[in-house]
Amino acid sequence: MRGVKFSKSPLLSERLPLWRQRLVLALLLLGFVVLVGRSLFLQGINNEFLGDKGRARYERVIDISATRGRITDRHGDVLAISTPVRSIWAIPEDASLTPAQSRDLAQLLEMDVRELNRKLASERDFVYVKRQLPPELADKVSAMKLAGIHQKNEYRRYYPSGDVTAHMLGFTGIEDNGQEGVELAFNELLSGKPGSRRVIKDRRGNVVEDVESVRPPLEGKDIVLALDAKIQYLAYTHLRRAIEENKAKAGGVVVLDARTGEILALVNLPTYNPNNRGKLIGAQLRNRALTDTYEPGSTMKPFIAALALEKGKVRFDTPINTAPGKMTIGTATIHDAHMHGVLTVAQVIQKSSNVGISKMALSMKPEEMWTMFDSIGFGMPLKLGFPGEVGGRLRPAKNWRPIEQATMSYGHGISVTLMQMARAYQAFARDGDLTPISLTRMDTPPTNVKQIFSAQTAREVRAMLEMAVQPGGTAPKAQIPGYRVAGKTGTSHKLEGGAYANKYVASFTGFAPVSDPRLIVAVMVDEPSNGRHFGGDVSAPVFAQVMAGALRTLGVAPDAPLKPLATDMPPVTEEM
Amino acid sequence: MNSYAAPQQRGPAELDGLLLWPALGLLLFGMVMVYSASIAMAEGSRFTGGQPAFFLMRHGVFLAVGLVAGVMAFQIPLRLWQQAAPWAFLVGFVLLLVVLIPHVGKSVNGAQRWIGFGPINLQPSELMKLFAVLYAADYTTRKLDDMMSFRKGFVPMAVVMVLVGALLLREPDFGAFVVIISIAVGILFLGGINARLFAVLIGVMAVAFVILIWSSPYRRERIFGFMDPWQDAFGKGYQLSHALIAFGRGEWFGVGLGASVEKLFYLPEAHTDFLLAVIAEELGFVGVCAVIGLFALLVQRSFAIGRQALILDRVYAGLVAQGIGIWLGVQGFINMGVNMGLLPTKGLTLPLMSFGGSGIVANCLALGILLRVDWENRQLMRGQQV
Repeated sequence: MRGVKFSKSPLLSERLPLWRQRLVLALLLLGFVVLVGRSLFLQGINNEFLGDKGRARYERVIDISATRGRITDRHGDVLAISTPVRSIWAIPEDASLTPAQSRDLAQLLEMDVRELNRKLASERDFVYVKRQLPPELADKVSAMKLAGIHQKNEYRRYYPSGDVTAHMLGFTGIEDNGQEGVELAFNELLSGKPGSRRVIKDRRGNVVEDVESVRPPLEGKDIVLALDAKIQYLAYTHLRRAIEENKAKAGGVVVLDARTGEILALVNLPTYNPNNRGKLIGAQLRNRALTDTYEPGSTMKPFIAALALEKGKVRFDTPINTAPGKMTIGTATIHDAHMHGVLTVAQVIQKSSNVGISKMALSMKPEEMWTMFDSIGFGMPLKLGFPGEVGGRLRPAKNWRPIEQATMSYGHGISVTLMQMARAYQAFARDGDLTPISLTRMDTPPTNVKQIFSAQTAREVRAMLEMAVQPGGTAPKAQIPGYRVAGKTGTSHKLEGGAYANKYVASFTGFAPVSDPRLIVAVMVDEPSNGRHFGGDVSAPVFAQVMAGALRTLGVAPDAPLKPLATDMPPVTEEM
Repeated sequence: MNSYAAPQQRGPAELDGLLLWPALGLLLFGMVMVYSASIAMAEGSRFTGGQPAFFLMRHGVFLAVGLVAGVMAFQIPLRLWQQAAPWAFLVGFVLLLVVLIPHVGKSVNGAQRWIGFGPINLQPSELMKLFAVLYAADYTTRKLDDMMSFRKGFVPMAVVMVLVGALLLREPDFGAFVVIISIAVGILFLGGINARLFAVLIGVMAVAFVILIWSSPYRRERIFGFMDPWQDAFGKGYQLSHALIAFGRGEWFGVGLGASVEKLFYLPEAHTDFLLAVIAEELGFVGVCAVIGLFALLVQRSFAIGRQALILDRVYAGLVAQGIGIWLGVQGFINMGVNMGLLPTKGLTLPLMSFGGSGIVANCLALGILLRVDWENRQLMRGQQV
């Protein structure tokens, strides 16, 4: 070491000049000052711009799903409810599972491990691994703590009454939107409005922070249907048995409240289980009571009789000669199944004479008949909001030939839905007027009624229809102990390729109790093929069973003495 | 331990508190921020086994090792450091060769910078920064009389640096290259190298830099990303644009410790090269200024201690102290400048703070030596021997 101190050593101070140290230090400190300035610019001045860039990258507006409303029957029994489920999804890029993990996950999800691996090898950013799992199972998946495997809360629609109410309720798709039935008709009310909130997400898509609520969700409304679950079940059970016994292809039952127009039951067969729609075929899906038309046959006759009464062409007991049981109009001939000779108007309905009713029809102008059909709701859809609802066939009156006018009077050459027919019978069950049809429960009786026939006419037709189910009529099997019943059978050939085939639609529409009608029940059985095909044999018993059960369920007071019914006598066979 | 404890017993002013406490402060602050920046990434990554404290635990171990190493370095007189300097530099050189051997050197993201010894990964370039300080100071001290000569004073050092630089660029580790060249040039400049020569040298280096940058697509790409990160914000400018967003979000006082969003998988290398961006987001302008201020203080103390040593005629110790100041200052400046988009992305950690074992240990050794220089200064001023 040198003997002279640095400060006093001219040689050293020249070699290690102080200004160099000061310059280097100053440059370094200047660098730090520049950094402070830059930081000030980024954090205090340009921070708005950078903040916007940040928000654009990780702020997202996400939907908060609204819970879909429940559907209940008129007594509050739940028919459709949304239960929470979870869907497993993955970011394939992040999800690199070991073979053991894949195997365990596939086993837990009850899926093929190859299918799982195929999904996780996808090029996409987002794949569903499995949708709508029960929460307990989803918890097991999350307990595995697999990278890249995520879960999403969803709802699954559950229908406690299964296939019994399938057509009425319809179902929702996997995105919780109504696809059929009430679910579709009331979709907007049921689904509510999803809300949204602004959140910050990390790069893997997890929400890390709630920024603000943009819009709170509007929960779906509950829908209270007019449907009565007990009556629905009755209708389902009895129709099902009738279809099995008669080896029929299909069938339907509609139960209306005559006072309010509420639909208390609507059943179609074949049906399906809405909770498990794995193997649905089109035929099961058809809501026949609304989407399929049929030629109603003789159930149409009371309307012609009512119109003739209304127009003053006939009275209740005006005699009409139906001999010799057939009538020729132009080149075509109309037949009765039996020769009845001279019948009163009431007996024409009771015995269901084609000749008698045709004579009444031909006494009126086609326009008069058309106007009546139209005002009673034939030829146009009821507009209940169901998908595929149809109006049936009602051709304009100016094209009618006399033979067509005659066949229409006994329900051929015109087609209706079962719901239209049930509703039209309101005119007889009530004092000549119709109410709108309601899917939902009504708390006040309807006021916007439509008068079709006079009260007098309605009462007279009621009496004729009561005769039709009594001994000597076409449908004694429609009787119920303790109640007075009125109704009309219908048996029609099915049209196939423009010609009438040897296949039938057996129907019955009626109401009870006659003294103060409360319920209308319409039954239709398509292609009964076990020997019997008449409405009085096939459909009338279903009517009686459903009506009896429904009246009892509703606690309607009996209006007839309880005595054994005379159903063992063979019914008068109706014509076709 | 004895000789470390001994000076403290003689009086309160044996160590420079203005150096010691800010340095320890940066080390501990760094550990907290490494934990904060890495916790989400550690938890969500297969590689860490999903342990949130994966990086914290390792960083804590590095810090403990580093502190022990620093205390040990403090025991060693500068005289011995000077004797060991050429050998240390040689060892560093060999390690830089070894890291380039395939299967011996470990490669991460296309850069082969690590040598694995069982569970430990050694990064030779970090140690080489310290060895470069020790060696350049030794070289300059020995050649003090030849500093004005181009052939005797400059050429030998230049040859050595070209060799080292070539090895570093082979890895590639451009950041370490810049830091080591800065150290060497800085020490030569402080050691009185011919000013005109120096000016030429700076000019030549500037040209060389431009050539280096343009000759490699890898480096050029990094340059373009830095010029305008928003032009290709999801491609080349991705990392920088997220770093800038972190700064912007932090504003004056930050979003709060632990509340960074950028660290949630958006900002790559949040716990290493881009630790300052996380500090900026969580603690704001105030936090960034604190870090810059502490670094400025460290640099200032290094130069003050070095000058004191030079005043005491201890040229080697003085140049070592100021060389360490240049090292910490340059590397800190570059890292922070990269974080703020002032400089192209280089792959340099923030000294004393970022995650990384070799870096922390090398920084602690440097601090130990710096404190030793200061302690020896104080001894000499009291008229005692060292």
